[in-house]
Amino acid sequence: MIKQVPIKDRRNVAKPALLAGLVVIIALLPLVLNSTYMLHIIILIFIYNIAAVSLRTITISGQFPLAHGAFMGIGAYLAGMASKWLGWPFWITIPAAAIVTAGIGMLIGYPFARLRALYYAMGSLFFGIGVIFIVYAGGIWTGGYAGLIGIGPMLGSSKLAHYYFFLGLAVVSIIALYRFEFCRLGVNLKAIAQSHLAASSVGINEGWYRIQVVGVGCFFAGLAGAGYAHYNTVLSPVTFNFMATLWLVMYVLIGGIDSFAGPIIGTTVLMIISEFSRDLKEYSPYISAVLLLIVVYLMPQGLVSLPRLIRSAFTERKKGKRIAHAP
Amino acid sequence: MELAVATVTNLLILSSMYILVALGFAFLFNMLGILNLAHGVIYMLGGYIGLALISAMGVNQWAALIITAVIMGAFGIFLERFCFRPFVGNFNRIVMVCVAIIVILQTTVNILVGTQILSLPPFVEGVLRVGLASVSYERIVTFAIGAFLLAVVMWFVNRAKWGQQMQAISQDILGAFLQGINVHRISALTSFIGCALAAIAGCLIGAYLGLGPYMGDFILVKILMLVFLAGIGSIRGIFIAGLVLGTLDSVLPLMTSGAASDAVAVGIVVVLLLIRPQGFFGYEVEM
Repeated sequence: MIKQVPIKDRRNVAKPALLAGLVVIIALLPLVLNSTYMLHIIILIFIYNIAAVSLRTITISGQFPLAHGAFMGIGAYLAGMASKWLGWPFWITIPAAAIVTAGIGMLIGYPFARLRALYYAMGSLFFGIGVIFIVYAGGIWTGGYAGLIGIGPMLGSSKLAHYYFFLGLAVVSIIALYRFEFCRLGVNLKAIAQSHLAASSVGINEGWYRIQVVGVGCFFAGLAGAGYAHYNTVLSPVTFNFMATLWLVMYVLIGGIDSFAGPIIGTTVLMIISEFSRDLKEYSPYISAVLLLIVVYLMPQGLVSLPRLIRSAFTERKKGKRIAHAP
Repeated sequence: MELAVATVTNLLILSSMYILVALGFAFLFNMLGILNLAHGVIYMLGGYIGLALISAMGVNQWAALIITAVIMGAFGIFLERFCFRPFVGNFNRIVMVCVAIIVILQTTVNILVGTQILSLPPFVEGVLRVGLASVSYERIVTFAIGAFLLAVVMWFVNRAKWGQQMQAISQDILGAFLQGINVHRISALTSFIGCALAAIAGCLIGAYLGLGPYMGDFILVKILMLVFLAGIGSIRGIFIAGLVLGTLDSVLPLMTSGAASDAVAVGIVVVLLLIRPQGFFGYEVEM
């Protein structure tokens, strides 16, 4: 019998330590950055990180939902309306909105569980568009075309308090979603993604697991949306429309959908680039588009694969070979 | 009476325009599985190029329609060669390329023209009066051009050699390739036809409803609904689904106001898609 040797791998300690160090550096950033505008941008990056990572979590079941912006909108409008019309404080509305969004997501996920692949993507896309039209048609309750104003502010006017609140929220959400991938549910979902027939033949209930993962994803989307509503105190349906969903998908794809770090890197890079190119005024969307094209043509696995590509380029050059481009 | 006639003409025009734009999208999708999300922007750009030709260069309107179709068709060939062909079969990368194209074209139009709603000059003036009802010639001509183009395209797909090759490729791409069909040439041709049809529809709608840089988003949603309601691989289904969507869009606003009618129309489409995921005339594909 082979005696099991406890593996003392330095990398097991090094990686979490590195990430913890990164979080500490981000937490210390306000000491260096004195402008409230920069803090505002970073807070938005935190919020969209939660949404993008939760979108990727749904895609591990092999399905691609195109309604995530709309679910963020559902959370945002629920929190905003509860705050405005019922006068609830933020520490009730944010969890409540997240839970109700997860419930709505699971209710919607039930009929949608019979759709797969492109049909699922399109069905969810149409659902998302329908949600925005309902918001438009909501009249005074949702604010309609003018947008919802007068949502109760969260932590006063201090940007710093918001910064640490959303940093904490993002870190907790991302750790939860990372752990989720390796729990039994996440592993079953990966099995479903590889082959739904093989997975159901070994007793994995495909429909129920897919409903559950939509619930988990929508919970965090609702959380991000509700946080956004209280942070911004003004909501416009345009923030959650079809193009917003597509941009959320772009955040995931540009970073690399196959790795967990992908959506985080994608969101951060794309949002920082689009903010720094704001000086170019109407020309600034070109920068994001060019970045998209660079990633599409040169980095098939997304920005995450950049170090690997550079390393392989160097090693191949040493051998005197040229890199064969994938078709 | 007046209302009924207006609704029916509206229905026919909307349906024919939806079908016109959706056909090009559906051809490319059936053949190579390319989900061309940039199709709506191509339609928008067609309208603006038509406007530029007519108002800035003073070209005759009917000539401008044809020149626009050729320019956008050439652009379609370019897109197919450099943006879609390298990524055939990779859904994620095609979506990324399409979003990049959408952003680039919308930003360009925004910078060059601005966001105000413009309109092409009407193709024909005057109003036709039959008894109590009156229909403007503009609407009749718009519908007539749409119907004529649809007839020509259907003849092309069913009778012409290249059209039959298109059908062969959408049935089985490998089998078609082994029979000696030049798949690349036919897909370039398909892209040309699709973009040209979208551009003509853009010009016609630009004269009928007006032009805006973001009109592409609206029509993109409509053609996605239409193609998936009809079912992948079905041409006949597109006509019927186009009529259904046109009916929903022209009749529902009579009953409820504004966004509520849009919400009801989207709800009906979602329910239909849930009842029959593979569409009403298509077959289910595993992707």
